[in-house]
Amino acid sequence: MNIAEGVQIVSFGILGTTMLAAALGVVLLSNIVYSAFLLGGVFVSMAGIYLLLNADFVAAAQILIYVGAINVLILFAIMLVNKQEDFSAVPKRWIRNGATAIVCFGLFALLGTMVLITPWSIAPATAVAVQDTVVEIGKHFFSDYLLPFELASVLLLMAMVGAIILARRDFIPEQLGVQQTALTLPEQPRESSAGSIASDEMPSS
Amino acid sequence: MYRIASYLHLSANMNSGIDLQGTFIESLKDLGLSPGLAKLVWMPLPMLLMLIGATVGVLVAVWLERKISAAAQQRIGPEYAGPLGVLQPVVDGIKLVFKEDIIPAKSDAWLFTLGPVLVVIPVFLSYLIVPFGQHLAITDVNVGIFLWIALSSIAPIGLLMSGYASNNKYSLLGGLRAAAQSISYEIPLALAVLAIVMMSNSLSTIDIVEQQSGYGILGWNIWRQPVGFVIFWIAALAECERLPFDLPEAEEELVAGYQTEYAGMKFALFYLGSYVNLILSALVFSVLYLGGWESPIPMDRLAGWIGVSENTPWLQVITATIGITMTLFKAYFLVFTAILLRWTVPRVRIDQLLNLGWKFLLPVSLVNLLLTAALKLTFPIAFGG
Amino acid sequence: MFKILKQISDYAKESFQAAKYIGEGLSVTFDHMGRRPITVQYPYEKLVPSERFRGRIHYEFDKCISCEVCVRVCPINLPVVNWEFDKKSKKKKLNHYSIDFGVCIFCGNCVEYCPTNCLSMTEEYELATYDRHELNYDNVALGRLPYKVTQDPMVTPLRELGYLPKGVMDPHDLPAGTQRAGKHPEDIVEEMKSKASEEEKVN
Repeated sequence: MNIAEGVQIVSFGILGTTMLAAALGVVLLSNIVYSAFLLGGVFVSMAGIYLLLNADFVAAAQILIYVGAINVLILFAIMLVNKQEDFSAVPKRWIRNGATAIVCFGLFALLGTMVLITPWSIAPATAVAVQDTVVEIGKHFFSDYLLPFELASVLLLMAMVGAIILARRDFIPEQLGVQQTALTLPEQPRESSAGSIASDEMPSS
Repeated sequence: MYRIASYLHLSANMNSGIDLQGTFIESLKDLGLSPGLAKLVWMPLPMLLMLIGATVGVLVAVWLERKISAAAQQRIGPEYAGPLGVLQPVVDGIKLVFKEDIIPAKSDAWLFTLGPVLVVIPVFLSYLIVPFGQHLAITDVNVGIFLWIALSSIAPIGLLMSGYASNNKYSLLGGLRAAAQSISYEIPLALAVLAIVMMSNSLSTIDIVEQQSGYGILGWNIWRQPVGFVIFWIAALAECERLPFDLPEAEEELVAGYQTEYAGMKFALFYLGSYVNLILSALVFSVLYLGGWESPIPMDRLAGWIGVSENTPWLQVITATIGITMTLFKAYFLVFTAILLRWTVPRVRIDQLLNLGWKFLLPVSLVNLLLTAALKLTFPIAFGG
Repeated sequence: MFKILKQISDYAKESFQAAKYIGEGLSVTFDHMGRRPITVQYPYEKLVPSERFRGRIHYEFDKCISCEVCVRVCPINLPVVNWEFDKKSKKKKLNHYSIDFGVCIFCGNCVEYCPTNCLSMTEEYELATYDRHELNYDNVALGRLPYKVTQDPMVTPLRELGYLPKGVMDPHDLPAGTQRAGKHPEDIVEEMKSKASEEEKVN
């Protein structure tokens, strides 16, 4: 084992542990902001693993899109929305729990079988590092992966149209009876004037 | 991993240029070290060099900023620390190191500490891709410029983190503004870079510079991408939070934005990060549009006129020196324009900022990209076929 | 169709205009860089206050007749004149006099109206203290000789722009005895005198 291999194994170990720990943290921590930040950690360590697999373009794209865009958007959503809702017991909650459990278990089973049936070992002769990964990815995108590529672009287009419609509120009929005043976020709970006065008078700690 | 591991770009053609790594490892081998160990000794050296270089660059930039600002306002500026006050940034740095490290009582100590670190590390990492000569780059990653864009997109997370953890409304607002700003200006930036990449058929910074070489100042991308040049500079200023776009730390509105609660070394990290980012943007800018290490008159032609072979050792040393000097000169010229802009242009409002980003720069950069593609197809000679 | 084209061309024109303005602004900033710094390096260099500078008020205890005119003309009746009637000499006897410079606005009315000229303005302006009560000057403090910039060996006195010779912009290293631009009051008086005497001769 030479130095390069040693470095690879050690960094794989570090990346794997941080990824697993961060992923567990995302699920288990009660503070949602911590979860969002840890999600960024998961994405970054995944990018590191891509890098170990010589997929440098994918790694950079992972960081740019998942860490730089998606994770930041999640954080934005968490920090801007302060909707407070009282906990209320939903009737027939066990149905939801059961459905969630079934879906999660199904996903786990799917991924587990996929892990088990995929032949992971690559013949050392074919494991030649691709020199220009960008060109290879481009070729694949426009030949054998054309359909998924186009479908993904259609999906993104749909998301974009949806975002524009959400942003331009004049397309959505205003809810009746709710007076939206300026300088208030729609997410904030709209209290009656009496309630707001009462809250104003409360001593701030 | 080995791509990122630091090594000077090993050229296939050993004759054309200085191969520092090879020479260093050879000399270590002569001392009796095994080849692997010699390489291991070599590996941290360029990284360390880059770290020191970036820090010194920041010191110079801070001094320049203070002196030029003073000159623009008819003041003298720092004067007492060293000749002409050149040691003033060092003094400031030492002061910040020795200041008390304050963590506000109701803040989130972990995130509060992690925030500045997350802001600084990606910026320093991005120095990996800056070339100072054909064989003078830390690494020739073939996704080079894309790596820079990707890494610069991590910084908003650090800003959001420090803004949130400070438990201060100004900090939070500043962090949110910083993140919104850097997300919206990343797109025009990336599109402007994409036009360049399209012309040079490569994401590698070294290839981008090589594509501009050969015709001296006339070959630089600034003539082929005048629109992209402006877009890139505006977007880069916004990414660095330089003055027309320094809303996240607008002192009249937000005290100091996400830096409000920071003191001592953590504040120094933010300060360092912002200046390193400025210099980095200037360096990348000079690589993309101003021909990187190329001098206005191509060196190899000059050598040809004098009648010196390209492989003469002394000529190679001179070329390398001129290359480094040219890159730094261009970068610092851009820093100078940034400082001048700082005292010229007033700060924009947040809605003006977002309008400029989404309604002006984004469409213009898309048109620029399409135009570049069309020109590339029509005039493949001039636009990198 | 043409409307859209016009909109686009207008937009482009506006953008170019904005760019032009920014360019002009940059040239102004750049031009400023070549100008002389106007810095006065304060504790080491100080500007000589102008002739009618209204600084700390100087007070001469012996001249004061306790008339309290200064109190009456003061916008806020600031000077405190503590006197008692001396029955023997049938005159006011002044015990204490004080002005609080933390409150004073240096309008100079007291100096203007003082019948015996016991109040006067000085060039002293460095009044900062750690406690505002220290700014309440009594007759002893008010009677101290004022600090003069030109007499301080630690300080390089600099002339203000209006007191520089014609065409000189830099107050540093002026040759001794250089006069400011224009005539001094005494010169004008001298001139008028000589003119009058000439006219007398003619007559």
